[in-house]
Amino acid sequence: MVRLQLDPFLNELTSMFEHTTEKGSVWVTLKHSSDKSKVQRNKITTAGKELEYKCLVRATDGKKNISTLVGTKDHQRFQASYATILKARMTSLKKREKKDKRKAADVVVDKKLPKTTKAMDVDKKQQVPVKRSSTANP
Amino acid sequence: MVYVISWDDFVERSVQLFRTSPQKTRYVMKYRHSDGKLVLKVTDDKECLKFKTDQAQDAKKMEKLNNIFFTLMARGPETDITEVTGKEQTEQPAKRGRGRKQ
Repeated sequence: MVRLQLDPFLNELTSMFEHTTEKGSVWVTLKHSSDKSKVQRNKITTAGKELEYKCLVRATDGKKNISTLVGTKDHQRFQASYATILKARMTSLKKREKKDKRKAADVVVDKKLPKTTKAMDVDKKQQVPVKRSSTANP
Repeated sequence: MVYVISWDDFVERSVQLFRTSPQKTRYVMKYRHSDGKLVLKVTDDKECLKFKTDQAQDAKKMEKLNNIFFTLMARGPETDITEVTGKEQTEQPAKRGRGRKQ
């Protein structure tokens, strides 16, 4: 397990995502930890001092293990960088194309609705649920 | 393995689990680009909650959950996470306001 600083950790995490594009997985684990052994923790608490907790972040691609500690001050910055990496890398997830097309159709229908009569509105509203139910089944 | 169907249910239960045992609870994320699958797991080694998806919209929801966990773990389990979720709530009415004015 390689313990890194925040920025090298983020760089290594990015390269892990790059390596596992064709094959393999990336695991990221978050845990609340003080990074001290039980003995040290007991000593600190008996001395009456408060334990400092951090967020332990671990990442692996099945072969390489990396980890880092994120403290209270760094967590906003780390959170933002981490979110950017994930957004950029998680591109193979499916997008709801059918629903987008439906939403586009609904928007077109809605724009036309104010000009038409109430009777027409009822007809169009009845049509839309039918379409939704038929595509929701599979 | 307990796979949770509802996203909101998963979030609520995992935050509760973390607050119950902050020392043992861990949040694991597994992403497979080749399969296009994302699996989330929150466990305290007694109870386990999992969520799996292949949808891009769930990745956005997961980012919010990541923010919640980072805040809780870096600052402490007693942290008020309405700061994280509250920011979203305060943003939404403003956007709606602008829409109505237009």
